Amino acid sequence: MNAAVIIRSVNRLFAWKVRGIRWIEIIGVLMVAAMIFSVYLAKAAAARESAQIADLERQIGVSGQRVRLLKAEVARLEQPGRLEALSRGAGLGPVDMKRQTSEADLAQLQPIPEPKQVVIVAPTPAVVPAAAPAAPAGEGAR
Amino acid sequence: MSVHDPHAWDRAAPRGPRPVVYGIRRLLPSWRWLAEAMWWVEHSFGRARADARPEEDTRVRIFVIATAFTAVFCCLALGAAHAALMTPKGVVGSAANPNAVARADIVDRNGALMATNITHYGLYIDPREVWDPTLAAQQIKRALPRISTAKLRRILAGDRRLIALPGLTPQEKSAVHALALGGVTFEPEDRRVYPLDSSARHVLGVADSGGQGLTGAELAFNADIRAAGARGESFPLSIDLRVQGVLENELGAAASAVGAKGAVGVVVDASTGEVLGMSSWPTTDALNRVTSAHYEMGSVFKTFTIAASIDTGKADLNTMFDASQPYMIGNRRITDFHATNKILSLEEVYLHSSNIGTSRMAVELGPDVMRDYFGRFGLLDAAPIELHESARPRRPTNWEDSTRASMSFGYGIMITPLQMAAATVSLVNGGVYRPLSLRRGGSGAEGRQVVSPETSRSIRELMRANVLRGSGKSANAQGLRVGGKTGSANKLVNGRYDPRHGVGSFASVFPADGPDTTRRYVVFVLIDEPAQGSQLGGAVAAPTVGRVIDRIAGFLGVDRVADPVIAPAVAR
Repeated sequence: MNAAVIIRSVNRLFAWKVRGIRWIEIIGVLMVAAMIFSVYLAKAAAARESAQIADLERQIGVSGQRVRLLKAEVARLEQPGRLEALSRGAGLGPVDMKRQTSEADLAQLQPIPEPKQVVIVAPTPAVVPAAAPAAPAGEGAR
Repeated sequence: MSVHDPHAWDRAAPRGPRPVVYGIRRLLPSWRWLAEAMWWVEHSFGRARADARPEEDTRVRIFVIATAFTAVFCCLALGAAHAALMTPKGVVGSAANPNAVARADIVDRNGALMATNITHYGLYIDPREVWDPTLAAQQIKRALPRISTAKLRRILAGDRRLIALPGLTPQEKSAVHALALGGVTFEPEDRRVYPLDSSARHVLGVADSGGQGLTGAELAFNADIRAAGARGESFPLSIDLRVQGVLENELGAAASAVGAKGAVGVVVDASTGEVLGMSSWPTTDALNRVTSAHYEMGSVFKTFTIAASIDTGKADLNTMFDASQPYMIGNRRITDFHATNKILSLEEVYLHSSNIGTSRMAVELGPDVMRDYFGRFGLLDAAPIELHESARPRRPTNWEDSTRASMSFGYGIMITPLQMAAATVSLVNGGVYRPLSLRRGGSGAEGRQVVSPETSRSIRELMRANVLRGSGKSANAQGLRVGGKTGSANKLVNGRYDPRHGVGSFASVFPADGPDTTRRYVVFVLIDEPAQGSQLGGAVAAPTVGRVIDRIAGFLGVDRVADPVIAPAVAR
C-alpha cells in the first residue's frame, strides 16, 4: 500500500457525507459530546465525594473536640493528687516494703498459717466441794 | 502586487527607491525576525495567490494551525494526567492537617495529658433581638452564675451586639443554649486548659489567649509546641507525672506539717539530665522556687568541697583533719555544729558534717582551684535548662580564706535548687556535668567531665555512708541504696544569721552503689523556714526524700536489694 492509496482513502473518508454534512464531522461531534458528558459525570462524582469528605472531616473535627474534652476530663480525674487523697480517704496507702516481693519469689512466701483447730468442749458443771479448804493468805495477789 | 505590500523593499524595486517606510523597520534588530515572521504568515495567502498556488497555501495554514492546537492540547492533556495521577498522598480532599491546633497538647514522658486546647465559647448578646430583657437576664444569670449581673443588664439595655462573657465551657454553653433565647449567640474560641489544676503548674507555666507561651515550659518550648500543633502531634516533656505527683504530695505534706514558708523538690535522671519531677510549694505562689529562689544551702556544699579536694589529689578518704579545736582564720573562729573535738578522717568529716574539716580543705585548695571547681559544678552560673526562669546565683565578691571557708559549708553563696540538683548530678554520674532538660530524652548535649570517675565513686560512697551511719539515716528507703547529704543553714535576717529562720535540705542519689553506668536518680528536697520542730535537713528534708524515693523507685524501675548490715557507728 503506497502513499497514494492512503491519501485516496482519507479523501474518500472526508468525502463521505450525508445531507451535505461530512460523516467524519458528525462522528467527531458525537465523540466530543460523549467526552463532555463523561467529564461531567466524573466531575459530578468527584464533587459528591468531595462533599462527603468535607462532611467526614467536619465530623472528625467535632469528634476530635469531644475527644479532647474527654481526655482533659480524664486527666483531671486521674491527677495524682486527687487519686492520693481519694485513696487515703478510703484507707489505702503505699504498700510496705516488707509486704512486697517479686514474681519469682512468690513460691518462697510463707503460707498463711492454718487456723488452729478449736475443740469446743461442752462445759461441765464445776463440782464445788462441800467443804473447800480456805485459800492461803496472799494467793490472790499472785 | 499591492502598493501597500511592506515587503516591497525585499524585492528588487521596479522603479526608483523604496517609497514607504514602516514603523516595523524602526524596531531593534532582535525584534525584526519576529515581525517579519508574523508578516510572512499574515500575508501568505496574498503571496500564494500572487504566486498562483492558493490550494497549497490553504493546506499549509490548516496544517500549521492543526499542529499548534495539537501541541497545545497535548500539553494540557499531559498536565491534567500528571495532576490527576501524581498528586501527593494525603493532599487530596484537604489542604491542611485536620488535627492541627494552634498549640500542641503537652504530655508527660508517658503520654499523660498535662495541657491541651479546648474550644470554649464567647457569649454574645444582641439586645435588639431579645424580647424580654428582664426575663432574659434572670434566666442567663441562673444558667451562668459567674456572669456579672451589672454587665448583663448594661448589654441588654444597649442597642448593639456585645460580648457578655468570654470562655464559656461546653457545659456552660449548653446550659445557656438550652434557654432558647433570641439574640443570644456563641462564637468559638480556642483556649489553653490545664486539667491538672495546680499540679506541675510551675513546670508547665501558662500560655496567653493568643497562643503564645508566657512562662514555664509553655514559654521555653513555645516554637516547638506550635510546630508540633501544626503537625497535629503532642509535645512530650521529660516529666513523669507519677513521680511529679508523689513529689508534690510528699512535699506538700512535709511542708504543711512543719508550717514551712516554702518547699522545693526536684527529681533528675542523673544519666541524661532529664527532670522527672519539679515541685515548688506552695503551689498557689506564682514564684517557681526551684528555678528562681536563692538559698544559702548549708552543709550540702561540703560534698562539693570534698569532691574538689579528692579530685585535686589533696585528700583521700583516709586523710586526717584536725577538728579537735576551733579553726581560726584571722579573728574568725570556725566551730562544728556537732563538735567531736578530735582528729577526723575525711569520711568522718563528711559524716559528722565538720565545718572545721571542710574549711581546712577550702583554705588548702586556694582561691583559683576552688573557684575553678565551683565553676565546673555550675555553682557560679544559672542552671542550664530550657526554662527562662532559671536565675543566676548570688556569688561572693571575693575568694579570700574566710569566704572560701564559709563557702565550703554552704554560706556566702546563694544558689537556686536547680543548680544544686545539676551539681549533684555531675558528682554522682561518673563526673559528667550535663545541662538539665525538660525535653523527653534530655537536651542531647554531650556534657563535660568535671571530676574523675574515681572521685565520683568516692562521693557516692560517702553519700551512702552518710545515710547508713551519718545524718541522713531517715532517708534510707529500704533496699534502694540511698546516698545523700543533709544541709541546714540559718537565713540572713536584717544583716544577721537568725537561727529562727532556717533552711533544711537533703541532696540524695539512689541507687548509690554499682558501676558508673548504673542508671541513677538525684532527689533534692529543701524545706524553707520550718516553723515547728527541728530545722535541720536531717529532720525535715531527709525523711521526705526517703518517702519520695520509696514510692517512686517502682515507677523508675529501680529494684530493691537486701541492705548491707549497718555498722554500729563511726569509730571515734
